[in-house]
Amino acid sequence: MIAGITGLGRFGGFLATLVVASVTHRPPIRSTFEEAYRIGVRSLPILLTISVFVGTNLSVQGYNAFAPLGGQRLIGMFVALAGVRELAPIMVAAMVAAKAGTEMASQIAVMRIRQQIDALEVMSINPHWYLVTPRLFGIVLVLPALTVLSVFALVTASWLVAIFQLGLNGQQFIEYASSTTRLVDLWYCMVKAFAFGITICVVSCYYGFQSSPGPSGVGSATNAAVVSSAVACAVSNYLLSRVLYG
Amino acid sequence: MVESPPIIRIDHLSKRFGSLVVLDDVSFDIPTGRTTVLLGPSGTGKSVLLKNIVGLIQPDAGHIWVDGVDITTASERKKAELRKLFGMLFQDGALFDNLTAGENVAFPLKFHTRLGERERRQKALEALAMVELPDVFDRPTSALSGGQRKRVGLARAIVLEPKVVLFDEPNSGLDPITSDTIDELIVHMKAKLGITFLVITHDIVQALHIADQIGMLYKGRLVEYGTTEAFLRTRQQIVRDFMQRNATLPPPDGPLIPIP
Repeated sequence: MIAGITGLGRFGGFLATLVVASVTHRPPIRSTFEEAYRIGVRSLPILLTISVFVGTNLSVQGYNAFAPLGGQRLIGMFVALAGVRELAPIMVAAMVAAKAGTEMASQIAVMRIRQQIDALEVMSINPHWYLVTPRLFGIVLVLPALTVLSVFALVTASWLVAIFQLGLNGQQFIEYASSTTRLVDLWYCMVKAFAFGITICVVSCYYGFQSSPGPSGVGSATNAAVVSSAVACAVSNYLLSRVLYG
Repeated sequence: MVESPPIIRIDHLSKRFGSLVVLDDVSFDIPTGRTTVLLGPSGTGKSVLLKNIVGLIQPDAGHIWVDGVDITTASERKKAELRKLFGMLFQDGALFDNLTAGENVAFPLKFHTRLGERERRQKALEALAMVELPDVFDRPTSALSGGQRKRVGLARAIVLEPKVVLFDEPNSGLDPITSDTIDELIVHMKAKLGITFLVITHDIVQALHIADQIGMLYKGRLVEYGTTEAFLRTRQQIVRDFMQRNATLPPPDGPLIPIP
């Protein structure tokens, strides 16, 4: 209990230091774009692959559920609702947490145990601004875009499976899909991605900064980063859905 | 007797982690323009003292005056200003792995000067030449030996021409010949730059080679401090045992003779 409160206090302190550092220093434009490129390009292939195959299965399972009731036409609606509103944002967040989040945590943890963060401080370079701010700006820049791409990959794969594997009417699929989802759903999707980006970056970098010495310290920090950011994203996904969709 | 005015004054400094007392009422002055060495066995609080001096750790009690300003009560902004007076060589160099040796040396120039890329490179090359590594600018840090890492770290520490250079165990992990080379470098640079050096080490040979002043920390207490000559004439049994490499050092609570 006490450890939990202490940990929360430490996290709050980290967050406050990060906010102060980010607003009192000049924005790290170049390193922000470098981070955005790194996160985006490295995550994109795996992200599109997973999105495609989640989309294919969504169609198949939707068909299995609705066809016995004669509602196979509803698959488009089902894919759009589940994919756009819920699956794509949380799926992208989980993958970016696993890929970019662990990388952030382990890189910073190694820098911590090799005294490189101390070296930054002694050189009067704010380590929060130098290490976390570009990653934060980079991830919030790129995660909404990745989520939109994931949505299109997922829905397109579902649509293709509906036509070529399940023999459904493609036009009908699109009509039902567009009748339940609007442009605002895509905006909400991006709002979620924005929030998840902040969560993943702040949580992962926090664990990197808190790493204890030695290789096991780096391993523990990385593990804690991915578990905590995934849980935090799942909880905030529920809360955001409550706020955005009622 | 210290004659030079101190650039750093440590005043009744204490620090504990949980129930472990790391520094216990430590007071001494570091004179300007001289080399001060703090000796002591491993785990005796030397690195913690160094981190207190640069404001990376907040003490539980006491003060540290750096160039007349108390860093223990300074704001973060002021601490950042005060740290510009320091260059620091960390134990393994603390070089950034994603940069080359030369980029590491030029790194602080990018943030604290208005120099262009070419001028920064020139300054970094000069600093590397000073540590006798003129040809490693473009070498990745992974291709540097332990001694070279330390020297590149030292070049980075001096590139902004600080008033004080701090050394955290500069010889740790090095073979005796490379250690001697680092010692020679410290003596040579001291003569050339004329700035203040503070070295923490457990290496007695190194301490006697480079120091103008020597202190010894033992179990968080400063048990001896003075000029090298005075240190060699110490009456403290702990210090004598340490210098004779006696493995059975007495317990920390034993009687100590007050430092004059």
